Amino acid sequence: MRNLLKECLAEESGFVELRYHHKESRSFFAERGRVESTALRKRTGVGVRVLEAGTWGFASTSEISKSSIQNAIQVAKKAARLSSALRKDKIPNLPKANFAIGDFIGKGIEDFRNRTVEEKLKLVLDIQNAAAKQSAKLQSVGCGYSEIYEEKAIVTTDGADSFFSMVRPEFRVSAVAKDDGKMESGSHSIGVTGGWDCLFRSQSPTEISDEACKTAVDLLSSSLPDGGLSTVILSPSIVGLLVHEAIGHTVEADFVLSGSVAQGKIGHRVGSDLVTLCDSGFSEYYEGAGGSIPVDDEGVIPTNTVIIKNGILSSYLHNRETAERFGVAPTGSARAWEYGDVPLIRMRNTFLMPGNSSLEEMIANTKDGYYLDGAKNGQADATGEFMFAVQKAYRIQNGKITDLLKGVTVSGLAFDVLQNVDMVSKEFKWDLGSGHCGKGQPAKVDAGGPYVRTKVLLGGK
Amino acid sequence: MDRKSIEKRLNDQKDLLSNLVKKAKTNGIDQVEIYSSYGYSEDVSLEKNDLNNCTATEENMFGIRVITEGNQGFIISNHIPSLYESIEEAYSLAKSQSTPDLDLGLPEPESIQNHFNQYDESLDKMGIEDLVASAKEALGWRNDLYSKVNIDSGDFSLSKGYKLIVSSKGVMAHELGAELSASVMGMGVDGDLVGSFDYDSASGFDKNQFQTLWKKAFMNFGDKCMGALYAKPISGFQGKVLLPPDAVYSFFLGLFIGSLNGTSLRKGKSKMADQLGKKVASSLLSIWDDPTNNGFMGSTGFDREGLPTSKKSVLTEGVLNTYFYNTYEAKKAGLPKSNGSATGGAQSLPGCGPKQLQIAPGNSAKDEFFKLPGKTLFVNRISGTKDGASGDFSGVIKGGYLLENGEKVPVREVQIVGNAFEALNQIEAISKEGELLGESSFVPYMLLDGFTITGVTEE
Repeated sequence: MRNLLKECLAEESGFVELRYHHKESRSFFAERGRVESTALRKRTGVGVRVLEAGTWGFASTSEISKSSIQNAIQVAKKAARLSSALRKDKIPNLPKANFAIGDFIGKGIEDFRNRTVEEKLKLVLDIQNAAAKQSAKLQSVGCGYSEIYEEKAIVTTDGADSFFSMVRPEFRVSAVAKDDGKMESGSHSIGVTGGWDCLFRSQSPTEISDEACKTAVDLLSSSLPDGGLSTVILSPSIVGLLVHEAIGHTVEADFVLSGSVAQGKIGHRVGSDLVTLCDSGFSEYYEGAGGSIPVDDEGVIPTNTVIIKNGILSSYLHNRETAERFGVAPTGSARAWEYGDVPLIRMRNTFLMPGNSSLEEMIANTKDGYYLDGAKNGQADATGEFMFAVQKAYRIQNGKITDLLKGVTVSGLAFDVLQNVDMVSKEFKWDLGSGHCGKGQPAKVDAGGPYVRTKVLLGGK
Repeated sequence: MDRKSIEKRLNDQKDLLSNLVKKAKTNGIDQVEIYSSYGYSEDVSLEKNDLNNCTATEENMFGIRVITEGNQGFIISNHIPSLYESIEEAYSLAKSQSTPDLDLGLPEPESIQNHFNQYDESLDKMGIEDLVASAKEALGWRNDLYSKVNIDSGDFSLSKGYKLIVSSKGVMAHELGAELSASVMGMGVDGDLVGSFDYDSASGFDKNQFQTLWKKAFMNFGDKCMGALYAKPISGFQGKVLLPPDAVYSFFLGLFIGSLNGTSLRKGKSKMADQLGKKVASSLLSIWDDPTNNGFMGSTGFDREGLPTSKKSVLTEGVLNTYFYNTYEAKKAGLPKSNGSATGGAQSLPGCGPKQLQIAPGNSAKDEFFKLPGKTLFVNRISGTKDGASGDFSGVIKGGYLLENGEKVPVREVQIVGNAFEALNQIEAISKEGELLGESSFVPYMLLDGFTITGVTEE
């Protein structure tokens, strides 16, 4: 594929980027004693991006042939020329980058290929059947396994020349429980970049299912917490959501240029000394983080980018264009979801670095607060105001965990929440690998970290 | 790409897909359905108050469903030369399953009464140059009228295409469509002050309709961004919330409508089970689904299974009249056939739900809601979470106001918690005025009482 793309670029003189992308998504889902759906999605094509007269032009084709790709190059060039007259702030030349050259074959691909459809169907059906028998209060248990296999080739006129592949399996269980007219749901999911063994390394399918079912049943006897500004201990999944939503989005350089709250704050204190925050294309600490990429979608080798070092904002996340504007090196953060999508600046694996406390010490040191666990969804705003939703909130009183309460929405101002971090645990966990981040187009990401104590606004009664 | 060439492609594809279905039947694959979605679009995007990118994309996606002996396999592909191999692959996926349900089958064809032409040929005279001109105009509005509003991103799109469904049972239906659309997202910025994000969008069948709607949408966006710029925290209270059409639809009613889905009902996950004919909401609330109105964007004569759509009452003065079924769910519910409510497209299996929801206007004047005594929270948008089973929702208010003594105070760091099913009975008033969301669903303003509002400051 690299050779075909290079052939298409042979006579091009300006900047042209070709991105071949083949993606296969398989999903299997069982509920109420039967396989409800079995689906395979295959999408292949080439995205063409050109920089001409200081403006981007983009076109795509699903036909993988020299003539079709070369035609798309001409369409993209025409589009760029048409808009050039209007664009005020012309795009500068792109900076040199640490381009990936060669083939990068992901881990776990053979593993997922060697497992049959029947094996994957049996997994979801067996787990679902066993889970549904756990409690008479369970109305319905759904169990799903899915995997995304991708291969990409990226070739540019200024030196990128790579092929890479990866597989991303996910496993999820959702349960609905009912009692006395009350209905509650619980869910638990995991996702990694790697093979089947990597997926179930820290939790077996049965343990995942047990957790989802227990949450649904337990929540039937829970009530809302008191609303207001509260001291909270966040589990690694919630820390992951916090650093992704509250900070990660505000430091994406395109967002910074639009006026996000992080604009002009490089070198400023934005968190307590205990806060060191990174976003990495690799899986730090242990393998399998769901947002890992060997090469970004501009052909650049990704870095481990230290965003906040001991409370001081130190870097934004960049593609090649914003790196040139800020006079720094690209961080390898440009990503596109499908071949027909233009690469955007996206997070990869976002994490807070561990500290010195233990979870036990943190709970014992909390007189009045909540322990929040089970990440749901989250969003961030230009103001730095974020929200994320949790499944479960446990009351902490006088250093001990007491009642289970319904998880609700948690919000705050990003930098205030980081300033209020006063305890960080030694333990570390990736715990957002089954998530997708939305920013006009989806992206596979992961996030995590240690247990963290801070203050947030808790919605409640 | 113009209408003539799209029609030629459609006609060629009808023959291709019919032949593939025939070939499959000859080879022993009896139940095959192919849903084709073709789209050509030209787009101009904005970023950071400037033009960003011009794109041209074309793609044909196919959703191939094969059912054999009560098992189903589904393949999605954009590769035309290998479509027959995809049918075989879907067949293989179906055969690999061990939990058949003989109620699963493709529907028999039915006569389609409503035929839509939502392709205005005037759009064939337009192209990327016109989109660039629209972008230039919008940047001019921003510079002249909203210099404190930063456009984070925006998009202008001219799209054309068709949907086509062919099945081995004899279903054959198609529709062409073309539209102009635009959206914008951004926030107010004044020195170090940054306001909440907001967005707006518009779409139209032709240039004149689009331009009128888009200008209104852009001004609305600018006003919302400016309104949120000087927001401040407030203390919490128990009381009234005023929901504009967007908030009514996206948060509060969305959960209720989801609970009328045949699949949720069958699986015991819906609180609306066994509620047909019963009063489940305030008498002020009446809702119907009407995909048959040619004046609405996205109206359609057939659903995801190629069966005819129709106008149907959902709620009449708070009494529940219907659920939404596709063919499988109708059969599981003991009904003779679906009610034409299969949802989705080429990239999904048929689901169940409404197409063009309409909410009856009330008797109250919208402006009176803004002059109520005491405190009322105006919820422009909720950034939060919702749970389909329990109906619980909670979230942060974005671009909202505290309405108090005739004053509008923009607020930040405010949360709201509620339950959608309980909220149906908390409706105190519905406005006469409303908006056509996405140019397809009429939704009025609603005033609700009895909510918990959490703030960060002390009283």
